[in-house]
Amino acid sequence: MQAIWDILPKTIAAILRQQPPSWHEHVEEIRIRVLRPLEIIVKGTAQFLPYEVTREDGMHLLNKLSQYSIYAIEEELKRGFITIQGGHRVGLAGKVVTEGGSVKAIHHVTSFNIRIAKQKIGIAEPLVPYVYDGRWHNTMIIGSPQTGKTTLLRDAARMISTGILARHIPSQKVGIVDERSEIAGCVKGIPQFQLGNRVDVLDACPKAEGMMMMIRSMSPDVLIVDEIGRSEDGAAILEAVNAGVCIWTTVHGRNRKDVLQRPTLRPIMEQGVFERFVELTNERGPGTVRCITDASGAVLYERTVKSG
Amino acid sequence: MLHERPRQLRQLKAALQALEAEIMYAHTPLSEAALHISKQITLPLSKLFEQFAAKLQVGETSVQQAWEESLQEVWGTTALKQGELEIMRQFGETLGQYDRHTQQKQIALALVHLEREEADALERQARYEKMAKSLGVLAGLLLVILLI
Repeated sequence: MQAIWDILPKTIAAILRQQPPSWHEHVEEIRIRVLRPLEIIVKGTAQFLPYEVTREDGMHLLNKLSQYSIYAIEEELKRGFITIQGGHRVGLAGKVVTEGGSVKAIHHVTSFNIRIAKQKIGIAEPLVPYVYDGRWHNTMIIGSPQTGKTTLLRDAARMISTGILARHIPSQKVGIVDERSEIAGCVKGIPQFQLGNRVDVLDACPKAEGMMMMIRSMSPDVLIVDEIGRSEDGAAILEAVNAGVCIWTTVHGRNRKDVLQRPTLRPIMEQGVFERFVELTNERGPGTVRCITDASGAVLYERTVKSG
Repeated sequence: MLHERPRQLRQLKAALQALEAEIMYAHTPLSEAALHISKQITLPLSKLFEQFAAKLQVGETSVQQAWEESLQEVWGTTALKQGELEIMRQFGETLGQYDRHTQQKQIALALVHLEREEADALERQARYEKMAKSLGVLAGLLLVILLI
């Protein structure tokens, strides 16, 4: 949280400090919109605080985020978010400047969405019996947005890189291609999350290209990639698997059937590259595993739904 | 004093060029870049960048204000004149506000202005040096005449 206090204007920090202390643990987003009331989202519910954000607050926040140097966050302004120390992410909106039809930068940033990052250490461990038998299986995590795919993938990366002593699983080299800077939350190339010592991260790197770079340069045992979807991602995954690298990835969708129908993913699905499918749901909060299936679709685990 | 001004102008130009490299190739934030530059040049100009970096690190100010204050604190100790001060002031108004290419253009503009001042400084130096030399000869001559 310290990283967040550091960037907030004094006026806003003062208002937030008036919140009850337990607030820290549950806050998910702080939304700052110029000339509108300050909003915070705690445990999924929005609250407005009695303070109207001024233009100066917005300027101050942007100055702090860029360290007074807009040129230093040019790429981030193009992508629409900045990752700060601690892996927290600040989303930006405002007037967009385009050049040749593509976004060049956001000018006059007027909306800031500070998403507080929380690492959930240990959430991937219950999966181990299903995804490991002498080696890690190629695993695909399937879920709709906000079901905790990335959080689970991040913990899997940590688990694989550190190994699990109690289960006699040795640690392995993990390569993360983090196109959206979400898995490792790097600041200047240094992961802000606890990921173990054997992790190499290509931050903000396009996935398909990044996977090839990793294989060529870092000889990973396991490759971790977030949200595959384009056809070139599929080709890179095939390449990686043929090179003997294990793949863990996430994909948008409700279940395995959804993914099978995606034309861009069909080649890898038809070749049976992935051996385990973990389906997530947020029925009982994000990160609930609905079921785990193998390559043929046979169910290995299914959450029993209690009736009533 | 006469040869100090061209020397300091040269340094100022070198500093701006270093800043350009920091911005264009390393994307270094201003406070860090200013700190690097302050170590590459000598007093009194190094102080300007040092102060500027320190003010930015404290925060609670704007770039323009930090630059302006640093200029005012250091300018008295330099051999530089009003013309250069104006150029640097205007330059400060653009610092950190734009994308890389615009920033580069602003630096180039400041450099062109500084070059003009440098030419002026060199010309003055030459002129006054000549005058000082001839004054010396004439004074010597006068002394000889008086003694005779």
